[in-house]
Amino acid sequence: MGKKIQINKEFVDIMPQDYLDLVENGTFESPNRGWKDFGTATELIAEHSLCAGCPESIAFRHIMASIPNPEDTVMVGSTGCTSLVFPMIAVHNIHSLFGNQNAIATGLKRALAVRFPDKVKDVIVLAGDGATVDIGLDMTLQSWFRKERFTTICFDNELYANTGGQESGLMQKGFLAKMAPVGKKFEKVRLPEIARESGCDYVAIMTASKPSLVEKVIKQAVLIAREVGPTYIQIYTPCILEIGKQSMEGLQEMRTSEAPGERFKFREFISPEAQSFLDGLAEKKKAEKLAATGATS
Amino acid sequence: MYNVAEVNAEECVAQKGCRLCIMYCPEANCIQMDTTKMVATIVESRCKGCELCVVVCDAAKHNAIKMVAR
Ligand SMILES: Cc1ncc(C[n+]2csc(CCOP(=O)(O)OP(=O)(O)O)c2C)c(N)n1
Ligand code: SF4
Ligand code: SF4
Ligand code: SF4
Ligand SMILES: [Mg+2]
Repeated sequence: MGKKIQINKEFVDIMPQDYLDLVENGTFESPNRGWKDFGTATELIAEHSLCAGCPESIAFRHIMASIPNPEDTVMVGSTGCTSLVFPMIAVHNIHSLFGNQNAIATGLKRALAVRFPDKVKDVIVLAGDGATVDIGLDMTLQSWFRKERFTTICFDNELYANTGGQESGLMQKGFLAKMAPVGKKFEKVRLPEIARESGCDYVAIMTASKPSLVEKVIKQAVLIAREVGPTYIQIYTPCILEIGKQSMEGLQEMRTSEAPGERFKFREFISPEAQSFLDGLAEKKKAEKLAATGATS
Repeated sequence: MYNVAEVNAEECVAQKGCRLCIMYCPEANCIQMDTTKMVATIVESRCKGCELCVVVCDAAKHNAIKMVAR
């Protein structure tokens, strides 16, 4: 089988070095890709304009390193700080009008299935909390009710960062922000529970403090979405700028917020169908390992 | 003037398997592994000076990174 990611020979001399590095040293078509490629392989993400130290950038790196099939994945983004990164990733992506991301992803996933019936094409939505739970909530929920087979990732920074700190549905009760000076009167919307009740076969809530955990969750979510049903991941990516932290304090903020009893303590919901799918995968892996050791001994 | 990170090759323990700064730097392709010398190396043009690499390296008591002015 030929390499899927190739460069037209006519263009080699005019393409920037970063592009050539990506073709030569990127981790496309690598079955065991993951955060361990950092530092030696070229990441599928280039310089972008997020603030220095922004945890959204950390989460983005871990996610781009982990998606199982980047060469055949289309990501759907929305307005917000994340949209500053999308033009800089080496995976096909669509920018949707603020809030429409899950509707766009629905049409896209269905169209890809018609256009490429013999190929595996993954669709991944990645948007902020404002896009996912406020302005796009209708589209988010309807896609889950209809059991659309794609992954929804919400970068939860508990406010509208890109527009200067307005209140969001995922903001904590009582929180004060620059453009929400009265303090939030209502509880943080329990979107993970709503996702479970709305038809998601896999739900995880977490922070981006552990690359190996992000990798595991992303891989599971994408594979379950491919074979079983919709999946949802909510990741705390604090907006250090809006919560008054220094550029180097984002990691500690994530660690504090995932302690036992805290709102981002790691939780996972796996439907029985998704669990039996995962068990099947584990069995297959075990058998492959056994066959490999059998062949060498 | 900008602040960027600088690794002291003498102190870096990447040869023992440490990858902390490479894991947590928010910027992609910014801290590379020099596989011949086995030390972490900063690509200065990509460094935004956030100091998170210093925090994780110091927390592990390696103290191999400091910020320098450019
Ligand atoms: C249809 C529409 N409504 C409003 C806006 C203004 N707007 C831009 S970014 C944003 C908030 C984004 O918040 P969130 O989704 O939480 O992403 P964050 O910036 O926090 O990562 C808003 C309201 C817009 N661009 N388009
Ligand atoms: S405003 Fe907040 S979320 Fe946006 S890039 Fe800056 S730190 Fe990150
Ligand atoms: S964290 Fe410090 S010791 Fe570890 S690889 Fe980076 S510079 Fe070297
Ligand atoms: S200062 Fe920040 S951007 Fe620069 S190398 Fe360290 S972690 Fe990366
Ligand atoms: Mg937000």
